[in-house]
Amino acid sequence: MKLELGNIFIRDIRFDSVSKVEKGILFVNADELRDHLLEDENIKSVSLEIARPGESIRILPVKDVIEPRVKVQGSGGIFPGILSKVSTVGSGRTHVLKGAAVVTTGKIVGFQEGIIDMSGPGADYTPFSKLNNLVVVCEPVDGLKQYAHEKAVRLAGLKAAAYLGKLAKDVEPDEVKVYETPSLKEGIEKYPDLPRVAYVQMLQTQGLLHDTYVYGLDMKHSLPTMLYPTELMDGAVVSGNCVSACDKNTTYHHLNNPVVHDLFAKHGTELNFVGVIITNENVYLADKERSSDWSAKLAEFFGVDGVIISQEGFGNPDTDLIMNCKKIEAKGIKTVIITDEYAGRDGASQSLADADASADAVVTAGNANMLVSLPPMEKVIGHPEVANVIAGGFEGSLQQDGTIVVELQAITGATNELGFNKLSAR
Amino acid sequence: MILVTNNPKVQGDPGISCDKEYIEGSLKDVLIAVRDRIHKGHKLLSHPLSGSLKPNETPYKSILISKEAGSMDWDSLQIIENSIKVCEKFVRYPKKCGYNNQERLLADFSEVDYQLIVAALKSAADKVGGEIL
Amino acid sequence: MGKYRVVHYINQFFAQIGGEEKADYRPEAREGFVGPGMAFNAAFGDKAEIVGTVICGDSYFNENLEAATKEVLDLIKSFEPDIVIAGPAFNAGRYGMACGTVASTVEKELGIPAITGMYVENPGVDSFKKDIYIISTKSSAAGMRDAVKTMAALAMKLAAGEEIGASAEEGYIPNGIRVNFFEEKRGSERAVDMLLAKMAGKPYTTEFPMPDFDRVEPRPAVKDITKATIALVTSGGIVPKGNPDHIESSSASKYGKYDIEGVFDLTESTYETAHGGYDPVAANQDADRVLPVDILREYEKAGKIGKLHRYFYSTTGNGTAVASAKAYAAAIGKELVADGVDAVILTST
Repeated sequence: MKLELGNIFIRDIRFDSVSKVEKGILFVNADELRDHLLEDENIKSVSLEIARPGESIRILPVKDVIEPRVKVQGSGGIFPGILSKVSTVGSGRTHVLKGAAVVTTGKIVGFQEGIIDMSGPGADYTPFSKLNNLVVVCEPVDGLKQYAHEKAVRLAGLKAAAYLGKLAKDVEPDEVKVYETPSLKEGIEKYPDLPRVAYVQMLQTQGLLHDTYVYGLDMKHSLPTMLYPTELMDGAVVSGNCVSACDKNTTYHHLNNPVVHDLFAKHGTELNFVGVIITNENVYLADKERSSDWSAKLAEFFGVDGVIISQEGFGNPDTDLIMNCKKIEAKGIKTVIITDEYAGRDGASQSLADADASADAVVTAGNANMLVSLPPMEKVIGHPEVANVIAGGFEGSLQQDGTIVVELQAITGATNELGFNKLSAR
Repeated sequence: MILVTNNPKVQGDPGISCDKEYIEGSLKDVLIAVRDRIHKGHKLLSHPLSGSLKPNETPYKSILISKEAGSMDWDSLQIIENSIKVCEKFVRYPKKCGYNNQERLLADFSEVDYQLIVAALKSAADKVGGEIL
Repeated sequence: MGKYRVVHYINQFFAQIGGEEKADYRPEAREGFVGPGMAFNAAFGDKAEIVGTVICGDSYFNENLEAATKEVLDLIKSFEPDIVIAGPAFNAGRYGMACGTVASTVEKELGIPAITGMYVENPGVDSFKKDIYIISTKSSAAGMRDAVKTMAALAMKLAAGEEIGASAEEGYIPNGIRVNFFEEKRGSERAVDMLLAKMAGKPYTTEFPMPDFDRVEPRPAVKDITKATIALVTSGGIVPKGNPDHIESSSASKYGKYDIEGVFDLTESTYETAHGGYDPVAANQDADRVLPVDILREYEKAGKIGKLHRYFYSTTGNGTAVASAKAYAAAIGKELVADGVDAVILTST
């Protein structure tokens, strides 16, 4: 399967009377987009805001971040099974508004967290401070249940991103990158001497506010299966995960999965990147046993020499991570796992809820309990009252000058377990 | 199956028809009650650290264990002991704002715990023929 | 601002007084730098200067731990330092224990920052890595140049009261405290690099070592204890009176094998402990309290066990490196198997 990604570099977003992409600037007709999103009867009001890198802006509570993309050639459309029909994606050509993103905020539950600071010390910890963000602030109709509210905001984000993505359809990309995965047979013939590597991606699937959708299917009801890496780039996997801001994988992360990109970078020269095994993180322990058996079986069946396993979330998924690692190692396949740590504010506590000697190659995205001090911003987008109550993280964290002291876990994407960031710990 | 919980919404739902042990106490008290049951030979069926909410954040926890008690299951013991350690690690810190003092938040925490255990019950029901819910 | 005042602690060897034959050298202070201190001064540039060097023989220090620590501390204090540097000790066990003791006591009692440097397998590492920063060095003095550079840099940060980064940045041996920092490459790229190394059988370093899993699977039960030959092995340091093999009181470099043919009771006049890590009075009064020869002889007589093995093995567990302990265990185990021993009772302190 072969996909061309045409990147159009976006250096600014502006509101204008006509939505278009011109000379690296994304113009948005706010009324038109707002009307489009208000077609959902569960949404009472929508307001749109712009947050640019370096501005004194805090966005919270962030629900999801999505990169605008559009399919230009090939089967299917962006976000198959949700916004487009379920045909297989990942081939042909896709255009990307690189440097732009849709950020959704929504106070689905009272404890919603997720901070993006566009400047200051907090900006160093979130990759989304470097993007030109169109922030979609959604209010639900009165009395909407949490699961319906989550779904409404999730769809609003995807629709906004698709709306912007369509503007890129006829724009000449600034660069075109090609990603190709041969079939198993072709791969073996083409790269007989290279080590074969698969990527095992664990998806958050515990239940309300902790779900992930694959071609529209709630992944907790699926057995582990395989994807071509390029399917991820067309939105085959969508985040419905709203809890644990620091180590949840947003839809932006899925579209730009760093493990996929870094394996592709060495594909054909140092390794043969065979494909992606996606698995889940259910609460029921028998599901964990079954899924980890299955991911190990798939890795064995693909005849790989090594896998990278990435995690999503805290606590319960530690058990899935260790089960996957142990069972795949037991097949004689080398593993590297990517996780983050909850080592306490002093860094002195045991970092993971589970452990095994076979997990002898670990990449860590840092200690999420570390405290960070966020000075006040001139503007807060989303639900400012949350800053005082929840995103502050704990009683006494809001200081007189408006500075809030939070654990890193409150910052969106800070300790991403796909290895998206440079933050680590020793 | 026995559902050990301190969540009134779970306890009060007649739709959840399995045996329940209601704990009037903290999240940690639920973990301890489950540990005691594991010592007596019950098996852990759902993960004690379900959900991404931290133990100093949500006050509610519901955990499924087996009704049958055999010889002690070491895997269950290891998971519950690790979970208790994680819980102790978090509750050392100041509680999250809103903890235990806002009706709206409590209802939300209760709802999330409820939905997560319902997801686990559905998995269990698939296994035994849908009789639990 | 003036230069930071540094005091350097070294042993008799690095002070060029002598080797093992001078290891009982008593604490002494000299103005300015001695031996490796010159390299430190060069590394400090105009930021700091070694104002005094305190020297002590390794045997003297370890065998007179309490007195020597106090003497050394008083000498260090007399120079009014801003920071104290001990060693580096590389892989010298007793020097490592001395450096660790000096540096940790300086921090605890004088409230002055102190660091040392050691090879990761030095027994001083396990004993002190949680108390003080120990810079990771090579195993021998061939690594002096690198060690000085890293130690001097960390010492200057500590003296200035700056925030100390993660072990990977600063070069100290991980002390169990997890510290965040920004890597050069993002996590996914590090994972790919690590996997390529692991698949190729090349060395790589995990970023999060799993907790220690040195678990031993229990052996099946002895079928008939009344026919079994049972041996005694201890890390409690029980030795024949006079410690004929000179097993060290800490960081043992060897173990002893002792014949107990015809011995029915360990008495105050025949056995003692060489262990320096616990109050020896009770063990010296009656060594059976640590190594129960008397009871096993009774059981032997009563037919409750087959027989007590003719030899017992002993070492001191105090500060002994895990790698050394493993090597002793392997050697002892091999002999026991060859001698047809069925079961072993291991006692510690």
